[in-house]
Amino acid sequence: MGSDLFEVGINFIKIAFIFLLMVQMVPFLVWAERRGSAFIQNRFGPNRIGPLGLMQNLADLVKFLCKEDFLGHKGRKSFFYSAPVLSLIPAALAFGAIPLSTPIEVEAFKWLGQTWGPYTFYFQSFVISIGVVFVLGVSSLAVYSLLLAGWSSGSKFSLYGALRASAQAISYELALSLSIVGVLLLFNTFSFSEIVAAQNGPLQFYFFGEPVKLAFLPNWGIFYQPLGALLLFVALFAEANRLPFDLPEAEAELVAGYHTEYGGVKIIMFYMGEYGHMLVASALMVTFYFGGYTLWPFLTPDTLKSFFHFLSSTGQSILTALVLHLVFLIKLLFFLWIFIWVRWTLPRFRYDQLMDLGWKTLLPWALVNTVITGIGVFLMRGV
Amino acid sequence: MDFLFILFSALALYGAVITVTHKDMVICALHLAGSMLALAGLFFILGAHFIAGVQVLVYAGAVMVLFIMVVMLFDLKRKKETLFSKGLWMKLASLFFLSGLIVGIFPFSLHLFPPRSMETIQKTSTKDLSSLLFIDYVLAFEVLGILLLLIAVGVAVLCRQRPFLQTPSEKE
Repeated sequence: MGSDLFEVGINFIKIAFIFLLMVQMVPFLVWAERRGSAFIQNRFGPNRIGPLGLMQNLADLVKFLCKEDFLGHKGRKSFFYSAPVLSLIPAALAFGAIPLSTPIEVEAFKWLGQTWGPYTFYFQSFVISIGVVFVLGVSSLAVYSLLLAGWSSGSKFSLYGALRASAQAISYELALSLSIVGVLLLFNTFSFSEIVAAQNGPLQFYFFGEPVKLAFLPNWGIFYQPLGALLLFVALFAEANRLPFDLPEAEAELVAGYHTEYGGVKIIMFYMGEYGHMLVASALMVTFYFGGYTLWPFLTPDTLKSFFHFLSSTGQSILTALVLHLVFLIKLLFFLWIFIWVRWTLPRFRYDQLMDLGWKTLLPWALVNTVITGIGVFLMRGV
Repeated sequence: MDFLFILFSALALYGAVITVTHKDMVICALHLAGSMLALAGLFFILGAHFIAGVQVLVYAGAVMVLFIMVVMLFDLKRKKETLFSKGLWMKLASLFFLSGLIVGIFPFSLHLFPPRSMETIQKTSTKDLSSLLFIDYVLAFEVLGILLLLIAVGVAVLCRQRPFLQTPSEKE
């Protein structure tokens, strides 16, 4: 956590900030989803309460808070109430492990008659050496909340939703992990920060021992892994249970699937979990394939530090981290918008189509991608 | 560190005990999943971060989800026979295997034998682990892979020979 009180305190604030960042994106995303869907479907959407309908979520929140706390007589109380909380934990843990900006380096300074030593604050809740595996692992636990919710509700529709959710999660987890293997082979590391650092620069690699440099393009993963990026994006849609993969809550067949019996604040927590997964998915896409928090050649840690040269070293570091955090957020919002766009454009799959896509399309292509990347890395390595 | 060790071991043991004693199969499976997560925590405090991550990803995230799905799908009403219900021979057999485990573990716990070299275990970085798996023990690794493939093929063959879904009344 830290060596002294200052570092521990800042780290606590940081963890709370990143969690609140995730949670506070939800009302904004719900608004964007409603207005966006209305825009796509040529409707108005919520536009009465507040400017641009922004206060609609507040009104909804009041409605949710005033709802009756209801549990069917066949429900199991402890599991029923713990499932919504469980849906929030994996997303929060996974989002905390992804770096949102460069580390802030604070020089030694005097305060309250004491010298506070130099610190390095990482712009993520916790730094873990096996970053990618950790995020995959905790994201794979998200399905437990759906399973528990469906089973503990004591209703057929909920149970069917839970069964569909688990089958879908297992099927798409293979494709998800295998499509990431290409990135790991390419960047040769499990650490998110190193993956981002490797993408900060012009596109350059060796081809049969000859250096190739394309100075007008950044060194992003998408240029090496277009197929892997597509496969990962599709698999992430399935993991986040978004349309066209929201079979677990298909309203035409299952009322609302696993959260049929839920209402009030509990359903808000399910929504937070779902949007949290969208955030993690978008953050993974940005970090693996689109340069993370850097935007070479304009906004990189080095250019920004020289831009803020008139400040002290600590000030430079803080401003650089904030600007790069904005870059990350803009890229993140772009992918979140694609999530919303796809949801209101494509119809839902049939269940057999879903399984065919997972096992007969994504999985073989992910294997092909792994083999091709292996050969490519062999050909493109330096001398 | 000691506190974490005691916490995770207690959680793992609690989950394991509930797994064999509870009557509801779904709750058993959930506790088994909890036990797996506690095991991952134990790996993590040992410094084997990669193995901890894989433990969560594979066992808690995939295998146990499959278990729970199958339990929910096929056996919702029938109560499971627990450790304390019936089946003397099964209990004796499990006692036999358990005693083998205890006999195997206790000498090490009581420091009767000198501890073996920990170098292999302490190769925790992913690179070391991969070189162990794919260079030093590559034959064993491949043979295990073929074994798992054989199991999968065998299950497919066994399932094809008879009607896939049988209700309990049809069996009798």
